[in-house]
Amino acid sequence: MLRASVEAKQGEVDLRAISEGAKDDSVGVAHAAELTAFAEAALASNAGALAAARDALRAKAGSAALVDAAGVIGNFERMTRIADATGIPLDGASELASSDFRDALGLGAYASASNTSAAPLWRRALAPLLAPAAKKAMARFMRR
Amino acid sequence: MTAFDYTASPDPIRDDLAEAHRAAWVHIAKPGAWLTGAERVAVAEETRRARDCALCARRKAALSPYAGPEPHTATPALPAALVDAIHRVTTDASRLTRKWYAGLASQGVTDERYAEALGVAVIAISVDGFHHAMGLPLEPLPQPERGDPTRVRPAGLTSGEAWLPMIAAKQVAPSERDLFGKGPLGAAYVMRALTLTPNEVRAWASLSAAQYLSFARMTRLDTGKTLDRAQMELVAGRVSALNACFY
Repeated sequence: MLRASVEAKQGEVDLRAISEGAKDDSVGVAHAAELTAFAEAALASNAGALAAARDALRAKAGSAALVDAAGVIGNFERMTRIADATGIPLDGASELASSDFRDALGLGAYASASNTSAAPLWRRALAPLLAPAAKKAMARFMRR
Repeated sequence: MTAFDYTASPDPIRDDLAEAHRAAWVHIAKPGAWLTGAERVAVAEETRRARDCALCARRKAALSPYAGPEPHTATPALPAALVDAIHRVTTDASRLTRKWYAGLASQGVTDERYAEALGVAVIAISVDGFHHAMGLPLEPLPQPERGDPTRVRPAGLTSGEAWLPMIAAKQVAPSERDLFGKGPLGAAYVMRALTLTPNEVRAWASLSAAQYLSFARMTRLDTGKTLDRAQMELVAGRVSALNACFY
């Protein structure tokens, strides 16, 4: 969804920001460094680092953005657990649209990847071939 | 005292967030389909205990979270196997396995009770997660409401796609049609994952509309909030990666 939302606006995004965090906005998203640092601090257990991350995001993007980001953090603390604790596989469309970067980001190393590797062989084989079309379709859909 | 009174927060908290968090607490306190109100509040309480649980910390650091015979202990409200499941979901969800899940049945945890406990746990975790991120104290858990679970199982369930039975999009009854959104994400697995307990899906969807996006906005660029869609997805993606969630 990150790539689709950036490409829908004719931008480009460096998806390594997801797996490694961002040092600056050059990844293609405004305030990327502060946003990823806030997410990292919120999931760690260092109160001082979290307060500093909050201050940095507030200073750069404002209180409303900070509150929005905290909401998204809370939301995905929930959604990741729903996915992992029910053993759902990736959906066909997501599998197609993400096949080109999953390996590059090392996502296949996650234990929960095994829920998707159980997908039919034909689907896994077709994924790399259909990925570009799926990617474009996703960006087009979001532009509606 | 009003629950989720954010007036003292140094950062103004949107009214829709306060309302959604209040509604989540009301939902947790009510009897569900398979758990009583007291059991549901106990589930939420266990998500908080898990954060400081020495056994969970040892498991998290271990190469395999399934080595060692040490169990969590039962509480007055919940059996040990369900306590253990809630702690694992809270602290090490990405290493849960189909084999582990299959073993719960022999310990008396049915699909239905697991689904509902999971639904309650993740709602508590997401509300607490917001408070933690904002540096706000955790809200006291609600007082449970009396009453019996409804024991209503939805129609149209299919098994085999994941660990739990889920409502199939093509078999959904009119009473559960609201659980499915439109467009390519409308019947995504994550939307269907907890449809064994429809009210848990409704609860997380309402919460999601405030914390992230409503079903209707999930396929649109416009967020209706201060962060734009790419910023939201960057945070979402980073949280997912830190939680080692493949989905």
